[in-house]
Amino acid sequence: MNQPILKGGLETDALKFLTDNDIAAIHRASMKVLANTGFQLDHTGLLERFQGQGVRVDMTNRRVFFDEDTIMAAVKTNPDTVTLCGRDDPERDIVLGGKRVYLGTGGTAVNVIDLSRVRRKTQAKDIAATARLVDALDNIHFFIIPCHPGDSSPENVDVNRFFNAMNNTTKPIMGGCLSLDGLERILRMAATVAGGQRRLEARPFIAFISSVVSPLTMDNQHAAMTVKAAEAGIPMAFSIAPIAGATAPITLAGTLTQMNAEALAAITVAQTVRPGTPSLYSAVPTVMDMRSASFLFGSVETGIMNAAAAQMAQFYGLPLYSTGGISDSKQPDQQAGYEKAFTAIMPALAGANFIHEAAGQLDSGMTISYAQYVIDNDINGCVMRSVRGLEVDEDALATEVINAVGPGGNYLGDMHTARRARTELYYPKAATRTAYDGWVASGSKDTWTRAEEVAAKLLDIHKTHGIAPEIIDRILESEPGIIQG
Amino acid sequence: MPICDILQAVLAFDEPSVKKIVRAEIEAETDPQTILNDGLITAMDEVGRLFSAGDLFVPEMLMAAQAMKAGLEVVMPLLVEGNPQGCGKVVIGTVKGDLHDIGKNLVAMMMKGAGFDVIDVGVDVDAVTFMEKAREHSAQVVAISALLTTTMAAMEETIRLFHETGTNAKIIVGGAPVTYAFAKKIQADGYAEDAPSAVELARKLVAG
Repeated sequence: MNQPILKGGLETDALKFLTDNDIAAIHRASMKVLANTGFQLDHTGLLERFQGQGVRVDMTNRRVFFDEDTIMAAVKTNPDTVTLCGRDDPERDIVLGGKRVYLGTGGTAVNVIDLSRVRRKTQAKDIAATARLVDALDNIHFFIIPCHPGDSSPENVDVNRFFNAMNNTTKPIMGGCLSLDGLERILRMAATVAGGQRRLEARPFIAFISSVVSPLTMDNQHAAMTVKAAEAGIPMAFSIAPIAGATAPITLAGTLTQMNAEALAAITVAQTVRPGTPSLYSAVPTVMDMRSASFLFGSVETGIMNAAAAQMAQFYGLPLYSTGGISDSKQPDQQAGYEKAFTAIMPALAGANFIHEAAGQLDSGMTISYAQYVIDNDINGCVMRSVRGLEVDEDALATEVINAVGPGGNYLGDMHTARRARTELYYPKAATRTAYDGWVASGSKDTWTRAEEVAAKLLDIHKTHGIAPEIIDRILESEPGIIQG
Repeated sequence: MPICDILQAVLAFDEPSVKKIVRAEIEAETDPQTILNDGLITAMDEVGRLFSAGDLFVPEMLMAAQAMKAGLEVVMPLLVEGNPQGCGKVVIGTVKGDLHDIGKNLVAMMMKGAGFDVIDVGVDVDAVTFMEKAREHSAQVVAISALLTTTMAAMEETIRLFHETGTNAKIIVGGAPVTYAFAKKIQADGYAEDAPSAVELARKLVAG
């Protein structure tokens, strides 16, 4: 169904959990943490570079104590807008920054519930299939590679992930890597697809996710990968996932303070390697269930913290990588529905730019479900409709229409209704909207079943724009370990 | 005969264009029956197909029907035969004791859009009035609506009167509390759960 009015990138800042004073307080608290507690950075080259800049560094304990000026200088050189490109398709570019809202997938699961409801280990073919689903679903705006190719040899995991993503969707792609070698090979492969390194840098259709380990640590491997990605000039986010109550304070403001420090430290590292590196202020705040010590991705507090993170990113003028539309439920069920709705709508209404994990993911990120992509596409549609809000103008106020229809009349037969029926209302793909008997007549199916049917149909009929065969041949020559899913 | 043009104008809800195309065809001495069958009715069939497939929404279908009717009004006087559209006549109203008419109006509107001759007898209509109106207009279908569970009983009464007096019209029932089982129990000729299926049902009953 054609609903251009709900394109990704609509803007809002309708929801504000933090006052200006709260934002300033979190900023000051983070500065205090960075200056007094410091940031563990296990990378000699970077530590020396910071020391050379006059930043206080404890080489023995490999810790940097950032001052506010250093941090804010990095915030300044970081672009306020980062564009992630659609491969061969500028229509699919997403322009991150400001209050523009986009939703997409997240990673990295190791299990999949497939269309026969078998829960099994993920393979390369699941990356290809989910990429094609996302390619077909309007309200999923980008593709973070959602699962691990279990059938790949360990040294080829990274290339298998990115190859199967690139070959099955033209939406912007992002993902993390297992090794520096993997990252280097991905960059080569993407440059081959783009027609050269320069073209890739000009229109980056892949982006990289590095990582900070909470609390306040960047390990050697991720520091090295951050350096590599920054040098390559591709956009970069960081998985900064403090768990309130476990790897961050249990108070939401405390977790935000630490996460803000970590996000700014990561950006400072990227900007130090190469000023102007298109990096994202990254937020993956989570919670631990204090009853069981279970890691939680889909708690309501996750929604609140991600909305607050959007306010922080806007305060700094940085493009945001945030999290939402995620659940701890094990299958596409009621809990999945409400957790996803809560955790997606909150950051979205706060104007969060790049809400990842918002499609397909279940089981705290460990399991994906084909049907769930279809359900989440509907949830995201509702979210984008909410982001759009309502227009108040003469045509929308409709006094002339009200007058023409008159008391006791009916608007269904009015041109105004026909003219605005498609753009005023959002129409989900897989929801039941008929009367009871109609539902019975069509098989009394639940949401999961209906979504499975839509997913099966899309996988059957949706055509994607793959990589040109001669380029695939060239890639396979240097990457024989690729499994085409 | 630019049938595509008529379809396009109908789908654009463009009454003036539909009229203009029909007038141009008349001036070009195209057989009025051909204009009707190959132009307007073909266009409406396509509209119906798009609606059934979910590609056209209810208000769009109604607007398309209105545009089609504008063309129909131009060509109709030229057709010698009585009622060439022949979709059928429907008497519609809410049952005795029930003043809720939103659903009834919706069904009436969609039936008109589908080409039926609709006689709307309003709200709070007793059995005798339904019967008299059905006879007066020789209606093939009588559509009765109820919103309240308390007024559903009056539906049965109306059907009984039709049967007792041998009034020759199919009675279809609908409304939020009405179910297929209830319709069967009171010996209605049909039940539709929503407006589009009411139109389908009426079509089937008229076709026999």
